[in-house]
Amino acid sequence: MQRLPLSYIRPGMKTYEEVIDANGRVLCGKGVELTEEHIRKFEEFGVSFITVEGNPVKLPWEKTLEEELKELEERFEGITDENLLEIKRIFREFLEEKEKKNLESTESTQTEN
Amino acid sequence: MNLDPLEKRKSVKKKLKKLEGLPTLPPIVQRLNLMIEDEKTSIHQIANLIEKDQVITSKILRLANSAFYGFPKKVSTVQNALILLGINVVKVLIITSSIFEIIYKEDVGLWEHSIGVAACSKILAEKVGLKEPQEVATAGLLHDLGRIIQKVSFKEEYEKILELTKNGKDPLQAEKEILGIDHAEMGSFIMKTWNLPDRLVEAVDAHHEFEKAKEFKKEAAVVHLSDILIHVRGYGSSLYRKVPPLQEKALKTLKLNLFEIKDIFFKLEPRLYELKFFTEELKREMELNT
Repeated sequence: MQRLPLSYIRPGMKTYEEVIDANGRVLCGKGVELTEEHIRKFEEFGVSFITVEGNPVKLPWEKTLEEELKELEERFEGITDENLLEIKRIFREFLEEKEKKNLESTESTQTEN
Repeated sequence: MNLDPLEKRKSVKKKLKKLEGLPTLPPIVQRLNLMIEDEKTSIHQIANLIEKDQVITSKILRLANSAFYGFPKKVSTVQNALILLGINVVKVLIITSSIFEIIYKEDVGLWEHSIGVAACSKILAEKVGLKEPQEVATAGLLHDLGRIIQKVSFKEEYEKILELTKNGKDPLQAEKEILGIDHAEMGSFIMKTWNLPDRLVEAVDAHHEFEKAKEFKKEAAVVHLSDILIHVRGYGSSLYRKVPPLQEKALKTLKLNLFEIKDIFFKLEPRLYELKFFTEELKREMELNT
C-alpha cells in the first residue's frame, strides 16, 4: 500500500482502504479501481491523501532500510552519550518495525488478490 | 580585524538592534501587533485588515490548509484561520511566509529541518499536555532563525563558522568564538523585536542551553528534544552533521521515559511523510519562480 496526495492519484489505481472525508462520510469503498469521477469527487470533498494498493509511484526521496541504517550510523559517529545511544537503539527498532508492517501489508494485499 | 568575542558580541547586538540588513517584515505585522495589544479589537477587525492584502491572505490560507497544519477541515477564510490557529499563529504565518523565500534561497536543508522540528514539537507538546501545541510548533519552526540571520547579515563570519565546524569544532562554540553570540540568542533577539510571545522567544533562546529557560522550561525542553529527534530521524539538514548533545534535564522536565520515544517516532513518521510532499511541491514552485 502507498499513501499519496490527491495530486498523485491517477485513474486505475485501487483503494487500499475506504476513502473518508473530514465529516466521516465514506466516499469510496476498499479495493475500488479509481476513475476520473472519483478523483473529482475527492477534490470536491476536500480529501487530501488516499491510500492505494501496491506501490504505484516511485518517490525519489524514499530510502531503503539499509540506506536509512547506514545514514543513521553516520549521524551517530563518535557519539558516546548513553541517552542518545538509547534513543538510537529505539529508533532502529522503530525502523525495523515499520519495515515489517510494510512487508505484511504488501503480502496481505497479494493474497487477497 | 580580529575583535575579541566580547567586543564582537557588542557590535553584533548593535547591528541587530538597528535591524540593519536583516530580513524585513511586511508593515501589516506592526499593525497587527498594535491591534492585538488593543483589547477592544475583535477577530473580525483583524481578519478585515489581513484580507485587504490578497497576497498575504492567499499565503496564510495555503499554509493553513497544508500538511504543515494538517487540519481535517478546510480553512477557507482568514477569520476561520484566526479562530482555529489563534492570532499569534496567524501572525507567525505572515512572518514566516514573508521570510520563506529568503530561508529557502539561503538554505533549503535548514528550512526542511525547521519544518520537521515544528511537527515534532507539536506532537511532544500534545504528549506532555502543554496548552496551545500549535504555538509551541511555531517555536520549533523558528528555532534556527538565528542561522538565517547569520547567513544573510553576517556572511563573512558565517563562512568562518562553517570552516571551523568542518574541522570538527562544535557549532555552538564556533559561533561564540567568531560572533560572541550564538544562533539561539540571535534568533530569540529578533523574535523579541517582532513582538512574538515570550513563550516562543524563551524556547528558541534555550533550545541548546536548557538552563537558560526560566519561565517556560517545558516549552524549551520540547523544542530541544524535537531538534534532537529530527536529527536522529534525519530530515532536512542543519549545521550539525551529527546528532547534537542531549540535555538530560530536558527529559526530566518533560517527565518523559526513553521508551516513550518510540511512540513519538511512530506519530512523527506519517507527519513527516506528508510534509515531504508539501516541501517538494513548494520547492518546485520556487524553482519555477526564480
